[in-house]
Amino acid sequence: MISRRNALRGLGVSLGLPWLEGMAAPAPAARMPGAAGRGRPPVRMAALYLPNGVNVNAWTPIGSGRNFALSPTLAPLADVKNDIVVMSNLWNEATKGGDGHYVKEAAILTCRTIKKTPGADIANGISVDQVAARKSAALTPIPSLELGVSPVAIGVDAVVGYTRIYGSHIAWSSPTTPLARELNPRSVYERLYRATSGQDAGAAKLDGLLLDRVLEDASRLRGQVGTQDRHRIDEYLSVMRSLEERADRAASASSAPWKPRAAMKAGAAPTDRPNGHAEHVRLMMDMIAVAFQADTTRVATFMFGNSVSDISFRFVDGVNSSHHEVSHHQKDPDKLRQYAIISRWHVEQYAYLLRKLKSMREGEGTVLDNSLILFASALSDGNRHSPHNLPLVLGGRGGGRIDAGRHLVYAEDSPLSNLYVSMLDAFGAPMERFADSTGPLAGLMKG
Amino acid sequence: MQFPLKTVGCLAAVLLAFSGIAQTRETAEFTAAQTSLNKYCIACHSAKNAVGGFRLDSVASPESLRTEARRWVRLAARVREFEMPPKNAPAPTLDEREKLLNWVEGAVRRKACADGPVPGPAMIRRLNRDEYASTIRDLFELHIDIGNLLPAEGAGGEGFDNAAETLFLSPLHSEKYLELAKMVTEFAAKDFKPRARVLIAQPGPDLTPDAAARQILAAFLPRAFRRPITGADLDPYLSLFAAARQRGQTFEGAIFFALRGVLVSPMFLYLSEPPNPGPAARPADQFALASRLSYFLWGSMPDELLFDLAADGKLQEPAVLRELTGRMLRNDRSLVFAQRFVEQWLHTRELAGNKAPDAKLYPTWAADEDLRSDIRFQPILFFREILIRDRPILDLLDSKHTIGTNNLEKHLGLKLPLNANQRQQPQWTELPEGSRRGGLLGMPALLTVSSHPHRTSPVLRGAFILENILGTPPPPPPPNVPPLEETKEGATPKSVRARLELHRTNPQCASCHSRIDPIGFALENYDVMGRWRDTDGGQPVDAKAEMADGTRIDGPQELKAALLARRDAFTRNLTSKLLGFALGRGLTLADSCTVDAIVTRVREHNYSSQTLLEEIVLSVPFRQQAPPSTQKEK
Repeated sequence: MISRRNALRGLGVSLGLPWLEGMAAPAPAARMPGAAGRGRPPVRMAALYLPNGVNVNAWTPIGSGRNFALSPTLAPLADVKNDIVVMSNLWNEATKGGDGHYVKEAAILTCRTIKKTPGADIANGISVDQVAARKSAALTPIPSLELGVSPVAIGVDAVVGYTRIYGSHIAWSSPTTPLARELNPRSVYERLYRATSGQDAGAAKLDGLLLDRVLEDASRLRGQVGTQDRHRIDEYLSVMRSLEERADRAASASSAPWKPRAAMKAGAAPTDRPNGHAEHVRLMMDMIAVAFQADTTRVATFMFGNSVSDISFRFVDGVNSSHHEVSHHQKDPDKLRQYAIISRWHVEQYAYLLRKLKSMREGEGTVLDNSLILFASALSDGNRHSPHNLPLVLGGRGGGRIDAGRHLVYAEDSPLSNLYVSMLDAFGAPMERFADSTGPLAGLMKG
Repeated sequence: MQFPLKTVGCLAAVLLAFSGIAQTRETAEFTAAQTSLNKYCIACHSAKNAVGGFRLDSVASPESLRTEARRWVRLAARVREFEMPPKNAPAPTLDEREKLLNWVEGAVRRKACADGPVPGPAMIRRLNRDEYASTIRDLFELHIDIGNLLPAEGAGGEGFDNAAETLFLSPLHSEKYLELAKMVTEFAAKDFKPRARVLIAQPGPDLTPDAAARQILAAFLPRAFRRPITGADLDPYLSLFAAARQRGQTFEGAIFFALRGVLVSPMFLYLSEPPNPGPAARPADQFALASRLSYFLWGSMPDELLFDLAADGKLQEPAVLRELTGRMLRNDRSLVFAQRFVEQWLHTRELAGNKAPDAKLYPTWAADEDLRSDIRFQPILFFREILIRDRPILDLLDSKHTIGTNNLEKHLGLKLPLNANQRQQPQWTELPEGSRRGGLLGMPALLTVSSHPHRTSPVLRGAFILENILGTPPPPPPPNVPPLEETKEGATPKSVRARLELHRTNPQCASCHSRIDPIGFALENYDVMGRWRDTDGGQPVDAKAEMADGTRIDGPQELKAALLARRDAFTRNLTSKLLGFALGRGLTLADSCTVDAIVTRVREHNYSSQTLLEEIVLSVPFRQQAPPSTQKEK
């Protein structure tokens, strides 16, 4: 285990990219549960969320089915063209009303209509990643990773009357609980490292004991607070209980112990002060990759920015403006040009993650083969705040279930939630319905 | 179904026969208001033709002032801001408008205030990460910076990250709390001051280890839980001590293990108050009030004096509270309050994030860390000085003083009478005669945070001031706004001003932009970093504008004068923000009684900032606790 202080000592040392190679190495074969013994490798699910939509003129591939040509925006995916499915004409009907951003973006993974509120009675649905995480939580050290690069947006957007909490969270474990994200790559790495290297049983036992007593104390408090406050204590109890269960699992010798599928290196923690937006995003992609490779978690979400993100993209050649601003291009050719460059930049980062996962061997295939990596925006044309024909790409084969290498063109306004039904199925957490779904997404899966 | 005016009139007539003169006046006023609404609004807002989903018949009964209060408030806001009736429709005269608005505002509040100020909910709330870090520091007297290790909170209510309703608990939090508890107790066990704080007893010939542990925990727990404790509070932690001992831990090891448990207990992590059994509101518990005060003005746990006053039952005395407020404000810890309040009220936290000026265009910003820090702290320290010096809150709009440093002096191109020996230190200083830098609006922090990273935007600045200074945010753009059409000549005009003027030729856009844009135009002499400029892109800056009410202004000083003319809107907004921050929750309509009462007192005391703060501390919601059922207003 690396102690916090040792970790802090290395603070500020930037390792630069690429450094991931040094970070994780396949675990010795002896420690690996044999592919035959434990069956197929696990399926992982991640969603990468892009705020502000895309330049729709440069997004859609030409042709459909297996014979399609990548669009200028999707060109960075050329190397992995056979590992992706581009989907056209899906929409998120629950988000058709309301304001231009929060309603759309908070619901990208929930397909529900969020409640308009400055905060007192926040309400969304459970997000697809969290439905998956419920299934896999007991199988890995960390139930799910919520990652971002921009701090949670503060305040209430008084213009539209929504708390900005909606715009900073896509992962919701319940309709009233948005999940906090980690922004610092170093602390993500340390968390993964600790979880992956495992706790010694003695320390885990102590944690379990501590949480057990504290939970007792909390139940006592629950009896003392007024009824309207009880849900807060319940939230505490449920979160702490699952932590206790994890400690108990780590402490117990009898249950089948979790083993990392790849070891992580102690000295390889990345910087906690990335040099600019681009490096920050890359490091977070690396974190997803290493977590999936080691099987420290099977579920991750990542936000390229918050709702209405106005990150400056002048660091990209040909751009002299910021994201939200160019998304309101008002048909200005120069803004549209910049909008396309920014959209493409995001696809490049996505492609980077897919390539990284593809480079990680696993059994007969690669980690990418056993993953479902969604790239999604909640708007198509940001200028119109439109939730129709959403920009969506699914990377990976979901353990061989996804028939990849195609552009699937659906009937106009087919439900996005159908995609989630299929993803959950491939993940191993099948559900008959998800939000407003009408069935699985036709033609996505094999057979 | 439409509720014709006549029916209301008839009903009113029946009621009249049974009620006194006040009722007569109220009814007459209600009828007059209905006449006005029917005259100007019914064409677009009837059942058949309900533009924007708003139907006049939903506000046609006197009872609707209570049941549909929100509709009334919104109706008034849209009329007040000249958004309704739309530009091309027949509009009430200014006099008619004024009369209607004054009536709506008064009537809605009178209804909501029928029972006087009420406490409103005092919800259990988790310490946010700043509060957690400060509390750990004060609890152990341990100086480590750990706040950054926790995830940041979002915000709700009046826009602050201490709003109870939006302080969720994620699995990530639970992991971090457990981890931090270990880390903090490890540090504390090795540091002189925390050890002295915690280890007040040692086992020895006359004291068994168990008895020593009991003494230590009995002293520590009340400070950690911010209230006196009972035996039942002590038991779980004594049992943790015993369990650790059983596993072979040393005495100290077992003590700090028990403290680890304390630090993940909900009694520590949450501010909770003993519930009020009801049925009436009651004064808040003394120790609860001590925490309300300390988390409001210090962002941390109460100190010994507050605990002592609570134990003596003195905290509800107005004289004590007034005295304490001043004392707490003058304490260095109030810097945390000023920083957290101002940075969230004015969004200047974002200067370190998305709102940082573009590094390529503004290399000074990227390169000069000292200047960045001075810019960021200027409004925070200014706000705190205004309070400590009991200057009028109107100084926030325009002032003869500012916070200066040699960096700011250079950046703003000013000569300030700075203290020669500490020119780097931010200090309260007099501005030169005729300076345009007085008040918050002259500060780079505000001017930068209301710009794009690469250029200024009159729209952003105008909307920023409407929302944050006056508390009258513009409504959202109507859905499906048509994109700006190209002009007949075929080219969109290039200058921002020209584009915005074109924009305003669309009546749909004009209804809001005619009040947003002029405010921003008046500030165009300030660049992205808040520096003065006479030209922009080679063109002379045009800072002339016509406000929505027709006032013509030119430049920042005339804008400030126009804002000062709306001092009551400003005062009301600042009061609401401070009250929301103080209560750690969003305000409800019922709270508007409290806000109104405070605004009146502040006005009577020449806008004294100290009066404002004292009145908040003395207010009903801050000092009282609602009965359990006071959840009628959502």
